[in-house]
Amino acid sequence: MGASSAVARVLAHEPLGPGGFLLTFERPNLDFQTGQYLSLGIPGHRQQREYSIYSGESEPTLTVLIKEVPEGLVSRRLAALRPGDRLHVDGPFGYFTLDAALKESAPLLFLATGTGISPFHSFVTSRPGLDYTLLHGVRQLADVALERGFDPSKVVSCVSREPGGTFHGRVTDRLKTLAVAPTTHAFLCGNCDMIYEAFDLLRSYGLSSDRIYTEVYF
Amino acid sequence: MKYFIQNLGCQMNQADSERIQSVFGQMGLERTDDEAEARVLGMVACSVRQKAIDKVYSKIHEWNERKEHQNLVTFVSGCILPADEEKFQKRFDLVFSISDLPKVPDLFRQYGVVTPLSQFTGSVQAPPAPTLRDRLGMSTLEPFWKVTPSYSSRFEAFVPIQNGCDKFCTFCAVPYTRGREVSRPSGDILAEVRTLVEQGYKSITLLGQNVNSYGLDRPGQEMNFAQLLAEVGRLGEEGGHRFWTYFTSPHPRDMTRDVLETIAKYPVLAKQIHLPLQSGDDHVLIRMNRNHSMDRYRMLVSDVRDLLPTATLFTDIIVGFTGETDDQFASTLRAMEEFRYQMAFIAQYSPRPGAASARWDDDVAPETKKERLQVLTEILRQTSLEYNQTLVGRTVPVLVEKADRKSGYLSGKTEGKISVRFPSIDESLIGSFLDLKIESAVPFSVEGKLISF
Repeated sequence: MGASSAVARVLAHEPLGPGGFLLTFERPNLDFQTGQYLSLGIPGHRQQREYSIYSGESEPTLTVLIKEVPEGLVSRRLAALRPGDRLHVDGPFGYFTLDAALKESAPLLFLATGTGISPFHSFVTSRPGLDYTLLHGVRQLADVALERGFDPSKVVSCVSREPGGTFHGRVTDRLKTLAVAPTTHAFLCGNCDMIYEAFDLLRSYGLSSDRIYTEVYF
Repeated sequence: MKYFIQNLGCQMNQADSERIQSVFGQMGLERTDDEAEARVLGMVACSVRQKAIDKVYSKIHEWNERKEHQNLVTFVSGCILPADEEKFQKRFDLVFSISDLPKVPDLFRQYGVVTPLSQFTGSVQAPPAPTLRDRLGMSTLEPFWKVTPSYSSRFEAFVPIQNGCDKFCTFCAVPYTRGREVSRPSGDILAEVRTLVEQGYKSITLLGQNVNSYGLDRPGQEMNFAQLLAEVGRLGEEGGHRFWTYFTSPHPRDMTRDVLETIAKYPVLAKQIHLPLQSGDDHVLIRMNRNHSMDRYRMLVSDVRDLLPTATLFTDIIVGFTGETDDQFASTLRAMEEFRYQMAFIAQYSPRPGAASARWDDDVAPETKKERLQVLTEILRQTSLEYNQTLVGRTVPVLVEKADRKSGYLSGKTEGKISVRFPSIDESLIGSFLDLKIESAVPFSVEGKLISF
């Protein structure tokens, strides 16, 4: 099914971690593959922004995880939405999907910074029992709240600016000490600097570029 | 009543303009290239580049000054960003999206443009003004595609097959101006191509923002791009006379071996591939959100060379994209040397309003961008010359396009879109295929002499 446009009603607004919130809204006639994203906007306003889908493929509603950007034209307006309000939903879009990886019984490595954890939440919700390792990079310990819904035994919380978490340092610091098989399918979502560094590290571990999937959050 | 229309931007806008002109013709309006004598004045705008938008503002300012002492109707259509659309609504009488083209006679009637035809056709109820939501996919493009265009050439035609883009490259605003990828019904496309072939058109270009995404928005309901090309190929076999079919622009992500195999199979599918590179560096490709790696691009070029050994290869490149380092540019330079393009459209990066990258620092200095452009252009000159020299001494078919800038010469293109000029003053040859023997080569063009009619 191709991308479509619709107006949906907001069903829930829930804070998650400092500065983040989950926005749940009606699911129009919209099929998506876990890992894809939507373009969202407010009726009457022209700008739209893209957000990865946080919810699972078979859930009756759609949820996105949004970080409110103080100077952001769209995220601030989305943050003000409450149940009953409406928003424009375009999509789905993107290629950050599990299809190719699941055709093989290869290890799955997920790397995220901040709210870049969102598509991985959709992965694990859509595919219960998925075997994976998630390295999640956050600045403060409080941001570990974003890891709700994951199996703690499969998550390495990399806290860079204060003690705590599973690992003190950046995601890529942890990646440098990790044994990564060349057959691994690696999914990278978050800020560009992390993705650049992780991409090079993974290539140096022998992963071919078609086993490295990227979704940059800007 | 006469109208004047100015096109800005790409071939998609030209195709849009040809359909607008057709509707105006049906309304009884007469086209003029002299805007001073026109009473209906409009532009097919391009929001992709700031310079094009600046032209729109400059022109409407001029036209609105004329309106102080003349009855004029102004309009704008084409590729328009939401932010620009708001401003245009205040300056132009009519702002309409291409999908609303069939409603245009009604819209014009509201402004007192009464033509013989408009007295008898169309709804008397004014349609609602088109909105951003319409452009983003809530309204259908099919009525627009049903409009028979007024082709601006008698031998070269552009056929839209797909509109919109779902790729969200960070340097590009098209997803916000053209909306979602929507495929035109294949039956309509093939009917238009068949008509063109029957009318003797020699060059047909299938157009779309992501032409090889064709059909992906309607899986199971519509053929894919390779199948569509094969149908065009079969039309060529049935027709029995020569024409060349091109397509632009493709995205490497959706380019498949099937497409290349189909091109190899049918003579009417021109052996010329445009494969945008944009950058030769994996990091920059990630930042551009191109969704393919250099390994993938390299594999595609290898497939082109393998399946279409005579094909020319063209590309698009952006130099000085936000954050592009010297090392990253060096990767692009190496890619240019590796792929040895016959032509490359190389642009210095400039933020395009509405695109994601417009929110980032444009942090590569103008002089650095200029220098990088010059370096790549020099490589292109070498690879272009190298290829063109292989044509010297060969006899090749050429589609004659126009009188050349050099007096006493005509010019045209080979199947691979290499520019050729040859001595002749017989302008009746324009629009014909001729066999030319190539006698000399320079970067970007060759020169030949006429062998046969």
